[in-house]
Amino acid sequence: MAKIYKQILIIIAVSIVLGLTANAINPYGVKIILDKNIYALDTAKQKKTLNDFVNDPYDTTSNKNHNNVLKGQMNREGFIEPENITVELAKNVFDRNALFIDARTKEEFDSLHVKGAINLPYEEFRNKPYYQKIETMKKYNKDGLIVVYCNGDKCEVSIDLAYEIAKLGFTSVNIYRGGIKEWSSKGFPTEP
Amino acid sequence: MKEFLSNKYVVVTLRVLLGLIFIYSSIGKLFNQADFAKAILRYDFLPIYFVNLLAIVLPWLEFIVGLLLIAGIYKKASAFLAGASLVMFLIALISAAVRGLDISCGCFSLEESSSKGDIIFRIIQDFFMLAAVIIVYKFGDDKKEEAPEISTGITN
Repeated sequence: MAKIYKQILIIIAVSIVLGLTANAINPYGVKIILDKNIYALDTAKQKKTLNDFVNDPYDTTSNKNHNNVLKGQMNREGFIEPENITVELAKNVFDRNALFIDARTKEEFDSLHVKGAINLPYEEFRNKPYYQKIETMKKYNKDGLIVVYCNGDKCEVSIDLAYEIAKLGFTSVNIYRGGIKEWSSKGFPTEP
Repeated sequence: MKEFLSNKYVVVTLRVLLGLIFIYSSIGKLFNQADFAKAILRYDFLPIYFVNLLAIVLPWLEFIVGLLLIAGIYKKASAFLAGASLVMFLIALISAAVRGLDISCGCFSLEESSSKGDIIFRIIQDFFMLAAVIIVYKFGDDKKEEAPEISTGITN
């Protein structure tokens, strides 16, 4: 019996060594300890975003010369990670004309959405080829503040869509996880 | 039934099959820690600090266990680890199903489309694999043959 324990420990130890090595040599590897703020709320970052000037989401004049100057904020995959925002911050940037993107299906979008939001169903968007994703998004300002949301609760498509958009070179993508449920329960502007 | 399950060929077949499944499921993740970490995150199950570590180590553990199962080295230990990881997957899957999480499993491919039916299917699949692991663990220990193998494994 003791032999089995020893063998189990050997297998686990070898796995750890190989795993850490593979991660170290992989240029797209991950940090060993995940930053707690990748999905969780980070108040310091929020304050910074809150005071940022919100660019006109439809002003694409700067897109031509856009070369992602914010390299320091990029992750190892070469894009700036979306951040979570609270309902207060979502409302604040809503009032300053941030672009709201609804990641749910067209039916869900048609029944109720944040006023002025556009609809990009994640399932459809994900399956588009790269050039079509660019084509869809090129009418928006790459430095404009974008807020992606879905139903709220445990829906994941807002996160997935936010990452898709961030990977296209958008520098200020935010995820509002409260979603349409929290938004409408607060009595904030919706359509139709 | 017991005679059938302890039949050498049945046990070896199950062991090799399990090994192949483990290798198959690990191969896409060995160098794709980031996507696997995201898949784990979606389960909203582990403390966030352990997510990446698991994404780094687990695929390699699966891979090695798979190789050992096929080769028939460290039979009991590899079957035990296979069973332990299957139990872990089961707990994660069932908790996701109970909480109604609409997530893709992340079991084999990391780009599976998500649907709840998928999770239920994986749970059933896991139970079958767990049963196979138990058979391999229980009857796979051919003492007359295994004794020299273990001693060489340790002295080396």
